[in-house]
Amino acid sequence: MPSHFHQELEELKILVLHMAALAERAIQRSTQALFERDADLAIEVIGGDKEINLLEIEIDRQCLRLLALEQPLAKDLRVIIGCLRTAVDLERIGDEAVNIAQRAQFLNTRPPLPPNPGMEQLADTALDMFKSVIAAFVNENEQQALDVCRMDDTADELNVRVLKNLLAYMVNEVPAIERSVQTIIAARCLERAADQATNIAESVIFMIKGVNIKHHCQR
Amino acid sequence: MNKTVKMSARHLNFFYGNFHALLDISLDFFQNQVTALIGPSGCGKSTFLRCLNRMNDLIPISRVDGQILLDEQNIYDSRVDVVTLRRRVGMVFQKPNPFPKSIFENVAYGLRVNGVKDKNFIAERVEKSLRQAALWDEVKDRIYQSALGLSGGQQQRLCIARALAVEPEMVLMDEPASALDPIATQKIEELIHQLKKNYTIAIVTHNMQQAARVSDYTAFFYMGKLIEVDVTETLFTRPKHRQTEDYITGRFG
Repeated sequence: MPSHFHQELEELKILVLHMAALAERAIQRSTQALFERDADLAIEVIGGDKEINLLEIEIDRQCLRLLALEQPLAKDLRVIIGCLRTAVDLERIGDEAVNIAQRAQFLNTRPPLPPNPGMEQLADTALDMFKSVIAAFVNENEQQALDVCRMDDTADELNVRVLKNLLAYMVNEVPAIERSVQTIIAARCLERAADQATNIAESVIFMIKGVNIKHHCQR
Repeated sequence: MNKTVKMSARHLNFFYGNFHALLDISLDFFQNQVTALIGPSGCGKSTFLRCLNRMNDLIPISRVDGQILLDEQNIYDSRVDVVTLRRRVGMVFQKPNPFPKSIFENVAYGLRVNGVKDKNFIAERVEKSLRQAALWDEVKDRIYQSALGLSGGQQQRLCIARALAVEPEMVLMDEPASALDPIATQKIEELIHQLKKNYTIAIVTHNMQQAARVSDYTAFFYMGKLIEVDVTETLFTRPKHRQTEDYITGRFG
C-alpha cells in the first residue's frame, strides 16, 4: 500500500493534469475563436484563465507543503520540482491563450484576412506538442518528451513563415496593417505556447532521469 | 576537492559464526571528507563501521576476510597494535557514554592511558578538544564537576572531545545524534562540518536528511552488501540503483 506521502504525490500530479487540461482547452478554444471568428468563445477563454491561475497557486502551495513536511528525496523530490516548474509553464500557456483570444476579439470585428495556412499549421503544431507532452508526463515517457523538444523547431519555422507572409501582404495592403499585426501577435503567442510545451518536456525528462537538458535540448 | 584516500575497505567479508554479515565490501574514505553509511536496520552498516577500528575483534565468534587499509597499511595485519589503531581511528557511539568522572578527566582519559604525564600538556589538550567539540564555553566554569551532570547533547559532545583528545586521524560515529533532541542534533551536525577540516569522518545514521546534510559521500548498504556509493547530492537526487531509490523514497518492503 502506498504511503500517505506517495498518495499525496499522486494527488499533486492529478492537480497538474487538471491544470493541463484547462490550459489545453484554453489554447484550443482561443485558436478556434480566432479561426472561426467566434466572439463568445473568446470571452469564455478570457474568463476561464482565473481558474488556471488559482490552480497554479494551489500547486505552489502543495509543493511547498510537501517539501517542508516530507523532505522528499530522489525521484519524489524531482517530481515535486517538476510539478512546480510545469505549473509555471501551464499558467503562461493560459496567458498566451488569453492573448490570442483578445486578438480574436479585435480581428472578429474587422474584415477577414486572406487564408494563411501557416497559421493553422502553427496552431495544430502547438496543440500537438502540448498533448504529447502531457501524455509524456502521465506515462513518464522520455522519448515522447524528447520528440516534443524536437517539434519546437517546426513551431519556430511556422511562426517565421506566418510573419513573412503577413509582412509581404502588408506592404501592398496598408489598410490591413493593424489586422496583420494582430495576427502576427497571435502567431507569436502560439509559438510561445510551443516553447512552454518544450519547457514542460524538459521538466518531464528531469523528473524521469534526473538530468537537466534545458538550453541544450538534443534535437 | 581533496581526493586522497585515507581509509579503504577492499573485498571485506565479515562473519558472525556462520552468518555472513558483510559481503565483499569495497569502499574508500577520502581524507577530510564525511562519508555517511545508510541502510535499513540489520543491513551491516554498523558492523562495517566497527570493522574500521577493529571493534568487532571483541566478538569471539566473528571472523574477517579481506583488507582495510589505513594510509595503505592493512589494519588487520598481525603486526598492527590495536590500541594504536584505535587512537588513530576514534569512535563515538549512539548513546553518550561519559565516564563517572569529571569533565576534565573524561577528556584527559585517553592521554593518561597513553602514558602522558605532563600536566600543562594535558590541560592544554583538554581545552583544545573541548573547543573543537564546541563545548568549552558551556563547561569551562565547571570543568572539575562530574560529566554526568551534563545534558545528553553536552555529554555526546564531551564524548567527541574525548575521542579528539588523542588526536585521531579518523573519527567513526555510530548514530551520534539519534538519542538527542533537534537542537543538540543541530549542534552535532554543525560540529561534524567543522571537524572535517581536520579529520576524516565516517558516520552511520538512520536519518537520511542528516546524511544528506552532513556528508560529502553516502554509501547505501542492504543485506550486508554495499549497493551504491556516490557523492551525497547525486545519491539523494538521482540514485543509480533501484534499491537505493526505493529505500530513500520510503518505498521499501
